[in-house]
Amino acid sequence: MDLNTFLLSFAVIACIYMACNIGANDVANAMGTSVGSKSLTFKQAVLIAAVAEFAGAFFVGGHVSDTIRKGMLDVSFFADVPYHLVYGMIAALLSAAIWLHIASYLGWPVSTTHSIIGGVLGFGVIAGGVDVVNWERVVNVVLSWVVSPVMGGLFAYLVFRYINKAIFSTRRPLAHAKELLPFIVSVVFFILSIAIFYKGLKNLHLDLKFSSVLLIAFVMGFFGFFLSKVLVRFIPDDDSKDLAHQFNTTENLFKYLQILTAFYIAFAHGSNDVANAVGPLAAVVSILDGGVVGMKVAMPTWILGLGGGFIVFGLMVWGYRVMATVGENITDITPSRGFCATFAAASVVLICSKMGLPISTTHTLVGSIIGVGLARGLPTLNLGIIKMIFISWITTIPFTAIISMIFFKTFLLFLP
Amino acid sequence: MRSILSMFSKSPFKPLGSHMDKVRACVDQIEPLFKALDERDYDEVGEVSELIVKLEHEADKIKDDIRTHMRQSVFLPVDKKDFMHLLSAQDDISDAVEDLAVLLRIKNLDTPEIIKDPLADLVSHVVKTAYKGCDLIQELEALLESSFGGAEADKVDKATQVLGTLEWEADRKQFQLAKKLFSLGNQIDAADLFLWNEVIKKLGAVADKTEQIGKTLRIFLSQ
Repeated sequence: MDLNTFLLSFAVIACIYMACNIGANDVANAMGTSVGSKSLTFKQAVLIAAVAEFAGAFFVGGHVSDTIRKGMLDVSFFADVPYHLVYGMIAALLSAAIWLHIASYLGWPVSTTHSIIGGVLGFGVIAGGVDVVNWERVVNVVLSWVVSPVMGGLFAYLVFRYINKAIFSTRRPLAHAKELLPFIVSVVFFILSIAIFYKGLKNLHLDLKFSSVLLIAFVMGFFGFFLSKVLVRFIPDDDSKDLAHQFNTTENLFKYLQILTAFYIAFAHGSNDVANAVGPLAAVVSILDGGVVGMKVAMPTWILGLGGGFIVFGLMVWGYRVMATVGENITDITPSRGFCATFAAASVVLICSKMGLPISTTHTLVGSIIGVGLARGLPTLNLGIIKMIFISWITTIPFTAIISMIFFKTFLLFLP
Repeated sequence: MRSILSMFSKSPFKPLGSHMDKVRACVDQIEPLFKALDERDYDEVGEVSELIVKLEHEADKIKDDIRTHMRQSVFLPVDKKDFMHLLSAQDDISDAVEDLAVLLRIKNLDTPEIIKDPLADLVSHVVKTAYKGCDLIQELEALLESSFGGAEADKVDKATQVLGTLEWEADRKQFQLAKKLFSLGNQIDAADLFLWNEVIKKLGAVADKTEQIGKTLRIFLSQ
């Protein structure tokens, strides 16, 4: 077996390992609150997440990927030694996958993007010194530790307060829910449409302008409004004194919204974070093919399919276990509260990433759950765990960087 | 493997409800206890009081479980101190019922004719009050659902006022009964008098502690 074949197979294996870990680590985060509120069973959650992740990865995930996420490194440095970039990419993939493996074992919701960034930084510093690293981008990552949870928390707090005031604190919660629901649905449809169509469906080559996307979003919003307006008619009015029963029916309405937003989060995750596994592999393939090192690299379809496929595989084999374990200790989070958290997270991720603010889906979701909790929306919140989660975010980059350095050094010792 | 959901701890409101179910089971036995006493069926008194002691112990176990699982780092939608206060109030009810059961087993107590009616009246009133308190705890879930606001809050607020009135009435009935008891003078054995006085006080305590539940819930609402 020649060196190229060996390196390619090694890179493919590392990519598969990484993809499996992405699936395992992130599925519970995207679908967790839906399972917690019993809007979905584990099996349904895994199925929906699988469809959404794969669709996001395959249809939206770029066919042209950044060689290195967020332009962390100056790749021109590697022009003379392209093979070092190959070793580095494999080292980065492996270190990120190992960290994710540990994190999902310990139950830490860490960012897969940050993991791969740490890996890239690690080998970058060893190969070219601190100068090749784009430190401005690193500062952005550090900022996202604060920006994501704070924005998510704030927005979730407000959404929850509003829904609570307009529906759950009134004398006729069900009647108010039926009145308000079409508006909420139209906002959800509006935001989801912008998310999907604006710079979203690159693979369909739609290249829509923002104005036309806005138009589509408005149309979708109106569609959602009238659709839900018609659908809520089928729910019988209940003005009885039995508030508990009214709450029950109202919560059932929120289940559908919650599933919709959870689907969107998984979809967005598939479209953004598959690159964490397949981007490095695509770079390796392109270097091995022609020895060219660029900032952007064409993404062969087989690699995208491989990444998407193994994310789903990891999610089914491992994510299922994560969810099942979670299910035994789950608290009674209601669909409306779960909706507030996921909707806030989805909206913040969309708005902030279009505004160019550094944002991480996982971190935002953690923040928005805390936000709902602080608005007296959750029966309990374990603040001890939250401290640990924050520490795990900070640890991500140093940990993967050091592991990646070790791998890179080892490769340099044994490979030409 | 827990992921993001490890942020949620187990809700202590569910076990609080199960604790109240056990307390209610204790309260259920108050009337059978006094009925057996009235019929001078002392074997039955022994059996019922045995059952009460067992139920109280089960309630205690749930209470201890809640206390040990309530770590410092857990964030609740209500003040943790108030939550613990609520749990204590519930616990005090079952404690008072247990004390009653133990008191009535100390010796085979005769019920003097003159206190029979007011006693039965007080017993049924205290039981009614305690049930009202139990019902209030069952509203907690709906109260959480509305984040302690709106129509549900009004409902609970009204119920706590009713509870206050019931407790006040229980106090008066307790006073009337004590007056009847002490009017017996020398006709009653000193030991019996002492025991009966204790029994009356404990009956009053059941209503008192139930009112505490209402008071704590009102603190929840005021936040």
